[in-house]
Amino acid sequence: MTGPDGVGIGWRPEIAGFVAELPGLRFVEVIAEAVPAAGPPPDGLTELRKRGVAVVPHGVRLSLGGTEPVEPARVAHLAAVAELVAAPLVSEHIAFVRAGGLEAGHLLPLPRTREAVDVVCANVARAQAELSVPLALEPIAALFDWPDDELDEAAFLAEILDRTGALLLLDIANVYANARNRGTDPVALLDALPLERIAYLHIAGGAEQGGFYHDTHTDPVPAAVLDLLAQLCARHRPPAVLLERDGHYPPAADLRAELDAVAHAAGLPVVT
Amino acid sequence: MTAAGTPSGVPGSLAERQARLVAALVAGAAPPPGFAPAPLAAARAALLRKRAGEVARHWPLLAAGLGPRWSATFAEWAADRPSRGGLRDGWDLARTLHDHGTLPPLGTRELAVREATFRYDGERPPRRRRLPAITRTGTTFALQLASRVLLVKGRAPF
Repeated sequence: MTGPDGVGIGWRPEIAGFVAELPGLRFVEVIAEAVPAAGPPPDGLTELRKRGVAVVPHGVRLSLGGTEPVEPARVAHLAAVAELVAAPLVSEHIAFVRAGGLEAGHLLPLPRTREAVDVVCANVARAQAELSVPLALEPIAALFDWPDDELDEAAFLAEILDRTGALLLLDIANVYANARNRGTDPVALLDALPLERIAYLHIAGGAEQGGFYHDTHTDPVPAAVLDLLAQLCARHRPPAVLLERDGHYPPAADLRAELDAVAHAAGLPVVT
Repeated sequence: MTAAGTPSGVPGSLAERQARLVAALVAGAAPPPGFAPAPLAAARAALLRKRAGEVARHWPLLAAGLGPRWSATFAEWAADRPSRGGLRDGWDLARTLHDHGTLPPLGTRELAVREATFRYDGERPPRRRRLPAITRTGTTFALQLASRVLLVKGRAPF
């Protein structure tokens, strides 16, 4: 099984027909929690697997940054889905999604502290013990920070990756969003990250609302995000980049054009 | 280590602070100390928008019936109510609006069909009715047989 390769797209039922007709497609992601562990996978995914398209389960609810040990049933589900689609690897986030018995409904940031590093590393180790494939970790887009950071973003991530041996799933749109909302330089972060550890990239659209840039996944990819992708790939081109779209799906021609723009910015073959 | 037991000198354990943060974001609680208010408020609003979208997928007629008032109506109702999932959030909201007499006709129809198709006590997850049922939502009567629902407005048809 080959790993993520080239330009991919997040497989969603709403765009399954569109994805099925991309001739050069080599990999997709599926939201792990949306696939029943006992199978079967959605028909569209099964068809893609028959074509040799790699399917990467992308978890969104493990809560690896939660102080409670990651729930064994959630890890077992992720591992089962990985087996079901013969995944080359799986991915999850450096985030927490629940605490004190309440679900946040979204990925929430951690304080960049050594205590939080310990929490994440312990949960990643628990997950890795049950997974038969490598795990890639994705830093999130967050609108706010905790007041007690001890490490900067690059040191925080490097510490987690070094201690867990996990791969990096870098979301270039998250890098853009975080930098824009904090007035920092996204390129400086790229220069500080271990780019050789990237298994694949995410890219997605967003929009400005209420004075903040929101990583919505329901808007077009801004030119500035494509520029940042190009700057990253000029430094070190990861093997793959995946477009995430989660609603307000545009006409097929627009989505194809966006995939082509991603391919051009990254210097990868077009898949449309 | 401080007397409060955290290496960073901020009161409370990380577990407590995560719980307070989530409660502030989804249950209307006061934010934990030290967080900048504007970014936290933006995150809270973004979570409500995401939740409103999920509820609208389960309750398209409710959302359509409220039209431009949907987002604000949902956000006001949901601000201090943690999510119970899109289906139940929409159901609870529809019942609340119905009780207040502010449920639009499209939402009333959608609620009436749901009430006739599922049994939902407001506490446990809804369960599909296996027997025929006659339910009333205001002046809208719903007759359900084998999961097909007939709505009649105005008076009891039976």
